[in-house]
Amino acid sequence: MKISYHWLKEYVAFQLSPQELADELTSVGLVVADIKPVEDDFCLDIEVTSNRPDCLGIIGIAREVAAIAGGSVHFPETNFVTADTSISPLITVTVEEPILCPCYSARVIRHITVAPSPEWMQKRLQCIGLRPVNNIVDITNYVMMETGQPLHAFDLDKITAHKILVRRAMSGEEIVALNGARRALFHDMLVIADGKKPVAIAGVMGGKETEVSEVTRNILLECAQFEPRQVRRTSRALGIASDSSYRFERGTDYDGIDRVSQRASRLIKDCSGGEIANGAIHITSGRHETKKITLRMEWLHKVLGTEIKSDRVLDILKKLSFKILNDTENFIDVEVPSFRSDVCREIDLIEEVARIYGYNKMPIKTSISIRGHTKNRYEIVEDHVRQFLIGLGFYEVKTFSIVDASPLQSINLWLDRTGIEIVNPLRQEESRLRTSLLPSLINVKLYNLNHGTEQIKIFEIAKVYLAGNKLPLEKNCLSLLSDADFLTLKGVFEALLRNLGVVSLCEWIPFNESRLFRDGRAARIQMGNDLVGYFGEASQELGFKEILCLVEIDLDVLVEKVNFAKKYLDLPQYPAVFRDLALLVNEEVTWSSLEKCIIGTRVDFLKELKFFDVYRGKQIPAGKKSVAFGLCFQTKDRTLTGEEVDDAQQMIVDTLNRTLGAELRKAVTV
Amino acid sequence: MVDKLEAVTRNLHEEICSIDTRKEAEQLRIKYLGRKGIINDLMKLIPTLPIDRRADFGQRVNSLKSEFTNSIETLLQKMSVQAVPAVKAELFDITLPGKPLSGGKKHPLTQTIDDMKEVFANLGFEVAYGPEVELEYYNFEALNIPADHPSRTDFDTFYIKDDVLLRSQTSTVQIRIMEKQKPPIRIIAPGRVYRPDTVDARHSFMFHQVEGLLVDEGVSFADLKGVLYQFIKGYFGQNVQMRFRPSFFPFTEPSAEVDISCSLCGGKGCSVCSYSGWVEILGAGMVDPNVFKAVHYDPEKYTGFAFGMGVERITMLKYGINDIRLFYENDLRFLSQF
Ligand SMILES: [Zn+2]
Repeated sequence: MKISYHWLKEYVAFQLSPQELADELTSVGLVVADIKPVEDDFCLDIEVTSNRPDCLGIIGIAREVAAIAGGSVHFPETNFVTADTSISPLITVTVEEPILCPCYSARVIRHITVAPSPEWMQKRLQCIGLRPVNNIVDITNYVMMETGQPLHAFDLDKITAHKILVRRAMSGEEIVALNGARRALFHDMLVIADGKKPVAIAGVMGGKETEVSEVTRNILLECAQFEPRQVRRTSRALGIASDSSYRFERGTDYDGIDRVSQRASRLIKDCSGGEIANGAIHITSGRHETKKITLRMEWLHKVLGTEIKSDRVLDILKKLSFKILNDTENFIDVEVPSFRSDVCREIDLIEEVARIYGYNKMPIKTSISIRGHTKNRYEIVEDHVRQFLIGLGFYEVKTFSIVDASPLQSINLWLDRTGIEIVNPLRQEESRLRTSLLPSLINVKLYNLNHGTEQIKIFEIAKVYLAGNKLPLEKNCLSLLSDADFLTLKGVFEALLRNLGVVSLCEWIPFNESRLFRDGRAARIQMGNDLVGYFGEASQELGFKEILCLVEIDLDVLVEKVNFAKKYLDLPQYPAVFRDLALLVNEEVTWSSLEKCIIGTRVDFLKELKFFDVYRGKQIPAGKKSVAFGLCFQTKDRTLTGEEVDDAQQMIVDTLNRTLGAELRKAVTV
Repeated sequence: MVDKLEAVTRNLHEEICSIDTRKEAEQLRIKYLGRKGIINDLMKLIPTLPIDRRADFGQRVNSLKSEFTNSIETLLQKMSVQAVPAVKAELFDITLPGKPLSGGKKHPLTQTIDDMKEVFANLGFEVAYGPEVELEYYNFEALNIPADHPSRTDFDTFYIKDDVLLRSQTSTVQIRIMEKQKPPIRIIAPGRVYRPDTVDARHSFMFHQVEGLLVDEGVSFADLKGVLYQFIKGYFGQNVQMRFRPSFFPFTEPSAEVDISCSLCGGKGCSVCSYSGWVEILGAGMVDPNVFKAVHYDPEKYTGFAFGMGVERITMLKYGINDIRLFYENDLRFLSQF
């Protein structure tokens, strides 16, 4: 809401410079975003919050200034002499929808001369950024800016059958609005119609056909109240917004309507030489209850945490035009002025007192009670994971949850669960909630590659969104991307598990169902019945020259497996015996099958099994490979003898031979 | 004989001067002091001399011997201090850089959230989470924002279904927690929120908020000021000033916006603070009684306050970042700065 500094001074006396005024208004909640000098005046741009429609007129601002600076508000002249001719034969008004239009007031002014408005008025309108049109249009704008109440002037001679009907639109009706927009109207919209057709969209905009022009001689001045929700819905549905709809949506002052109509009529008479028909049509429905609120001083002090003297409280409320009905030591009964639609409850009055008293004058109480703070399990694990990966040189990234519908982003790893679409996306291209973090990480890799960073190690902890019942399933995921091969990143993953105290064994199951991963180089990771995640080298189809490895882990599952409880184990007192073996096996024999087989021998002093390498070369027949690993034997209570270890080793080699056809190539005693 | 002694003395001086290494020094010592060394040879000459000259000659040989011993010891000592040979080999450049080892970094937004969590943890606030895809009820109605209310204009929202949306504020978590728990409540809720704002240097359709809520008996506006005062001093530093301005949020009454003195210009005014000396950092207020009614708390018994702040905004202020898009581009040259 823009106001003119000098225009404001017409309604309230104050001794503040524009900057001081701005500071004062800001401190009571009317933030002045900008002060701009305009010729010999200043334009103040005030941010009015949606609960204060009363401040969408300069008089409303003047009331606030009066409360701050201690003056009183002068209202402009509204009295005038009418012509003998009565309004009744000139126009009839029927309100068919009293709930949507609780009040409709009409006046007729005849024999006017449409001309430019007076210079002082033009200057003020220009100061607040309005373009002068002609005296009639300018006056309706001027009075709206003054009072916050929108008005509309129709060319009376273009109203068919001397008849105004406030009704719902009928199917098939349309209108060309003042701004030239042609719109089809729907039955749920409220219109102002004449004997034949809609002449205005109620509360939103007048029609082109009945617009006041240079040749207009007689006008119908409308001043009404429309139901805010109705105006808002219609304005949104038609895509037409105006200064009027902005005000009606927020709520206008029911009690002020007649006075505003009089004010505008007076100005029109003064500026256009017309004569005001005798009487006005004023249709109201029901009775507007005045709101009465009791303020308990004790509650005021409790909520604000400070004692404000009742004299000061009374003074503030009076200055804000609240009528004091009764005041005792403990209670103040007030009547709320009709323009303060936002004040309905005791708490609203408390805010009014606090606002004017000054938030910054209220005490700062720093004696908050002591309360222990515990971190929840998820938070602890998340912090731990983050810290661990950073230590290994990984950078944390954050990418958007809303993604496009490209094939890459459409990748769905998490079994049978489809993605979620946004009904009203910002751009058609970005309309889905993601089902995996990996495509976004790949995009980050590409972005960095294009900006000269060749090598990256990144991770993200965020949610993926999978179809659920009423609400989707939001799964917390941890995803990593690194310029590394399979086993390097697998090493990172395994180190992470150890660090988190995860003891459950991972099963690495071949996974070739996703375009994301390279065939034969991808796995689904399973811990018992729980799916932990997906791991693999990026598919060559993604077009990266170097090897890139990716993993996406279900963090919620992982959190359940984490075990931070630690127990000290005695350090070994007796020496360990090491044996290194190299076995010849068929290509198909996996390490995990060798491992399972060795563990299955249940040699109780086999302490550790350590993989060394796989060798394929000259001495190795085709279809075979040599797998080298180390065995570590140790007991707690004695030194092992050579024979014991030899026997155990032999037993292991024999078992491997029997079950997996492994042949011993080499055995080294270390 | 004296001539010979003088010749030996002269040679000895020359030879000592030309020594470069320990080895040479050892060899020289053997040459002179060894059993078959030159000095011993000189001693052996003593009996061949006339009696009256023997004492004098013997004395001179002895002083030569001790002089030589001293010189050679001093020399050896010097060499051992100079340590390893003065070999004219390659020089080790100790100013070369260390072998590169790149540590990773937390995303700057995570760092901000972690810093906030820490300050609030000290004040007894626990972290709470809630869904990002929410029922319209939690985002609006329960927060005292009825349908078609003008304040909804301030809360444009992405919809999934008629009554399911992407939360536009983390205040939703307040309601979910209060539905489950009875007071006292002291939580902060960090998380992603979504608003259909066209992306530019200041706007993003996705950003992060940290929401706080404290509910108990006898909580007042003065407590709200106290907690935010502690937070602002704890997070932004002791010298920062704060200012409360009345504002409007449907879910709080009274409502406030909180500014801190601009750290860039120290309050004198600059482009960051639009020449006001103040920058807005959070919204706050006393929980509206209607919100308590929605979660079946007795508004006559309990009072409380809530506050919310934008993580991107505060991070941008803290580091002087001028474009919100940088947070989501994840350029490593950006991330590595924090
Ligand atoms: Zn500044």
